[in-house]
Amino acid sequence: MKQTHSFSPWILCTLVALGSGAATGTHAAQPQGTPPPAAPPPPAAARPDDGDLDAQLAAARIKLEEAAHEVAELSVQMGRPLIEKFAALAGEPGRAILGLQLEGAAGAAGARVREVSPGGPAAEAGIHAGDVIVALNGTALAGEQPARQVMDLMRDVKPDSKVNVRVLRDGKPRDFTVTVRSGPGYFARAHGMPDLELGPLGPLLPPGLMMRGPFMDMELVTLTPQLGRYFGADKGVLVVRAPAKGAMQLEDGDVILAIDGRQPVSGSHATRILASYQPGEKLNLRIVREHKTLELQATMPARGALPEHRPHDAAALPERPEVILQQHSDET
Amino acid sequence: MHNESDPEGDVARALAALPADDARPYDWHEFQRRRARAVPARRVIGAGALAAAVLALAGVAVWVRVDQQRAANLMTAVTHADDAGGAPSWQATAAAGEPRAAERWLASLPGEPAIVRVGTRADVLGLEDHIAQVDDLLSAAGTGRAQAVHLIALQRQRARLVSSLEQVRYAETLADESR
Repeated sequence: MKQTHSFSPWILCTLVALGSGAATGTHAAQPQGTPPPAAPPPPAAARPDDGDLDAQLAAARIKLEEAAHEVAELSVQMGRPLIEKFAALAGEPGRAILGLQLEGAAGAAGARVREVSPGGPAAEAGIHAGDVIVALNGTALAGEQPARQVMDLMRDVKPDSKVNVRVLRDGKPRDFTVTVRSGPGYFARAHGMPDLELGPLGPLLPPGLMMRGPFMDMELVTLTPQLGRYFGADKGVLVVRAPAKGAMQLEDGDVILAIDGRQPVSGSHATRILASYQPGEKLNLRIVREHKTLELQATMPARGALPEHRPHDAAALPERPEVILQQHSDET
Repeated sequence: MHNESDPEGDVARALAALPADDARPYDWHEFQRRRARAVPARRVIGAGALAAAVLALAGVAVWVRVDQQRAANLMTAVTHADDAGGAPSWQATAAAGEPRAAERWLASLPGEPAIVRVGTRADVLGLEDHIAQVDDLLSAAGTGRAQAVHLIALQRQRARLVSSLEQVRYAETLADESR
């Protein structure tokens, strides 16, 4: 199966190089002295079975992602009753999340960071296990229960706001800005979805951010300056592969500038924003397409059914409905 | 490779001397060795490796289902725990899970793949959010009068979530590498 793409060859090379960059990132854990794997030689000519192998590889990748999704979903589902019970006991529903386990610091004022949640807000900000928090948003921690004081101060913090955290690391003060998050299930609660059973953490929806349906095989790349020049945008997230079935009217090569005014700064950020919408909700997308800035109004599709595997071929996309509401004159 | 911050190679030697357990999950070096060996027939082996990973993850999913019963039993214990008990012990609760090697591996990964697949990324972000929520609940519970049995149950749930995050990120990395 020969793949076609609307991007130019060099931009594809750039994307491939980006992929190699990610692999390089994983090599950080590799001991020095271990030679990196040799680069695969370019194929001299297409083999007759390339199409079959491509299809097999794509099918295997989809199975792998499905298995991973099942692991994630089951793990969250089985822990949900315990977490809900605990949240109810602690009286902490809907609060902003730091992603830290704290305890009193022995022999010193402050709350010692016992664990940092992997990928959590504090981890992203650079806080490490072993740091001692001595102040939060300018309020110094004092007294015999500094960990409790942190939790009390966090009660007044709204999700998605920034929290200034001063820690002692190796005895020296360091300041971090943590962008706190909402807990799983918060968005549906905040959006007031009707007809849903509300537990302490929110409605009993598919757990957390997990998204299936047309978005499952959507692919995004954080825009670099080089990519930005080519696609006519200096910020945003590039849609390498649009959602299946023409969902949300996105196309390969679009650059998402904003989703209801929120500007995605990375693929993960865009995923998080999109996942905050419930099926059927309306949203406005500001995008760059073929160097023109457009506003799209779209409806969040259902998350249920899995998309059929589709080749990475723009020609295979269904015809795009007429949804462009406004075309800006600021062609870039 | 010359490294100005480690001219004598002390850090490199220390890294090389780490026990194999630190290379979890699924022995990353073995994964890299196999990948290098697979270069001449990358696509064929790539599909095979993905299929093997699917089987491994499917096995994990089955294990998770079996473990649901254990979790239910633990929930029952939590529900019926009496109000007696002293201050919770972090040492005891920490023994409920041992995710440190997994967390070191997770910390060594880039924040996200170069090309983000939204479906798998949403799974990763969902797990990360749940772990963060559990950690904050543990902080809140640890400063209150929570019973040790509750904290142990929550720590076990955290360990399970970290393990699942490890699996899902590995699948994400493997899929990214197979492109």
